Amino acid sequence: MSVKDQITAPAPPRRHPWRERLLENWRVFHRNPLGRVGLILLAIFAIMAALSVAPPLIDPMYHPMTGVDPEVMHSSPPSWRHWLGTDFMGRDILSQLLAGTRVAFMVGVSAAFMSIVLGVSVGMVSGYLGGWTDIILMRLSEIIMVMPTLLVVLMLAALFGKLGIWTIVLMIAFFRWPGVARVIRAQTLSLKGRPFIDAARVAGASHARIVFRHIMPNVLPLAFLYMTFRVTAAIIIEAALAFLGFGDPGTVSWGMMLQWVWKTGHMFQAPWWLLPPGLCISLLTLSFYMLGRAMDEVLDPRLRDQSH
Amino acid sequence: MTRYVINRLVQIVIILFMILTILFVLFRLAPGDPVARMVDPNMTPEDAARLIAQLGLDLPIWRQYLAYLGNCLTGNFGHSFHYGLPVLEIIGQRLPNTILLFSTGVLLSAIAGIAWGKLAAWNKGKATDLWLTVASLITHTLFLPWLALLLIWVFGYKLDWFPINGMISDEVWLDPDSGVLMKAWDVAYHMILPLGTLFIMHFGSYLLVMRSSMLETLKEDYIVTARAKGLTEKAIRNHHAAPNAWLPVVTSVGLSLAFSINGGALTETVFSWPGIGRELVFAVSQNDYPLAQASFLLVASVVLFSNLVVDVLYAYLDPRIRY
Repeated sequence: MSVKDQITAPAPPRRHPWRERLLENWRVFHRNPLGRVGLILLAIFAIMAALSVAPPLIDPMYHPMTGVDPEVMHSSPPSWRHWLGTDFMGRDILSQLLAGTRVAFMVGVSAAFMSIVLGVSVGMVSGYLGGWTDIILMRLSEIIMVMPTLLVVLMLAALFGKLGIWTIVLMIAFFRWPGVARVIRAQTLSLKGRPFIDAARVAGASHARIVFRHIMPNVLPLAFLYMTFRVTAAIIIEAALAFLGFGDPGTVSWGMMLQWVWKTGHMFQAPWWLLPPGLCISLLTLSFYMLGRAMDEVLDPRLRDQSH
Repeated sequence: MTRYVINRLVQIVIILFMILTILFVLFRLAPGDPVARMVDPNMTPEDAARLIAQLGLDLPIWRQYLAYLGNCLTGNFGHSFHYGLPVLEIIGQRLPNTILLFSTGVLLSAIAGIAWGKLAAWNKGKATDLWLTVASLITHTLFLPWLALLLIWVFGYKLDWFPINGMISDEVWLDPDSGVLMKAWDVAYHMILPLGTLFIMHFGSYLLVMRSSMLETLKEDYIVTARAKGLTEKAIRNHHAAPNAWLPVVTSVGLSLAFSINGGALTETVFSWPGIGRELVFAVSQNDYPLAQASFLLVASVVLFSNLVVDVLYAYLDPRIRY
């Protein structure tokens, strides 16, 4: 093939433009030190969550909730038998920590996912339809936005008694959608005026088709970005709730562990018990936060607000 | 401006009214007897009957609602089960403590965030910037109760520098000889650790906002003009760039208020600071419904009104904005 042929030959058809874009985004993302550190931390936590099934299988005394070491029965410093020591009942702190990782992921990701689905739907509908729908939905979001989520959930816990972990997840999701909805609405408004939407309408596409086929793909990256910040918020709220003594009594979460060390008055005597759960909460939220900020640089930085 | 403030006040009243209504509905939807929820089980039957009549709990549901709204308007929230006192009295004592701790915390961290964000942006890419940014990222996502416990452990227990709970020490306040200054110092001394917790938690987000806003400002034409005029770097930084850059920080203070008040409640609880947030947590754990309801309303009002203050402040600081 001569040089001339090479120049005049049409470029090979790009069969997967979105895949190339994804790869390019990944490169930008990976160049960012924040994103790299965040991913590494996240991977470590994912491994911890996966390992959480192991301790009870090794020996029933390592069960995070019900396992009690008959030879200890009280809080003890780290040893070969219990790498991170034991809590006030002689339960293994390492296996509690691992179980807590699983709970934190579950709470964070599911609450964030639900609030994003809700926020994206409300935001798109509000932005696309406009008019009264828009006014009512945005007013509603303003009201929910000024509510301190933790205290609202606390209030509901007072009224409805002990909350299960899934109720807590649902409540966090319900009170955390407005921020997302407002950003998605702004994005939808700017998309609505673009020619390709007009083209779709002229071609006879229904409202539903325009919203889901043409607008949604364009707001999803932004939604995904917000999801990382919502994961952070959800993990913190659940942990704080558990710390205050309103968590699900049937689960071992990091907040629960801190509540135990605080309420049983061991915080001055048992640093090996006080340090790990708080460090894990902080690091896991940090890793999601760093991931979010790294993604922020990949995506269009406009249309952002500062209320992460 | 006056019209804007009045508009916003009307909005706040509407929102508070909706919150009241939602609370009313929730209190009746929740399992259990709404009367038992408002009347202390330890009261004598006569006292209980009087309270029921006063709160309108013996009326049909819509009259109950009206009585409830009237009571809330006149500040009659019933009696706390735990303290046996009118709720309003307890809340009235706690509110100033919350406002003192919370506003000092937000103000200090905003000032530090602005000052350090300015430095970070000015030294972009250098070591100062890197350290400040990393420090804000890390402190920003710390788990607040854990940080509070760590501070107590290190500074209250190991080093024994600061008191670890409460707001005043009896020795000082019961002593007739101690003057106002002594008492003020005593409160400040007790406030250092809770304030430190709030400060460490919050300066980071303000710093990051200030940094990115300052970086944007430094690209503006008037900065080039200032340089061309031969102004000193310090004058450009402090008098030309920073005043414009810190407006977004004010916005972000407003947006993060609801989030900060969560942290305020946690801080108060861990340090036994006698404020509204701790009272709410305590009331919820004791099933002291009248107290919980009133504390919640008050916290919500604090957030709503501080939002208004922030917005007015914003308009005042930025002459381009006129409502």
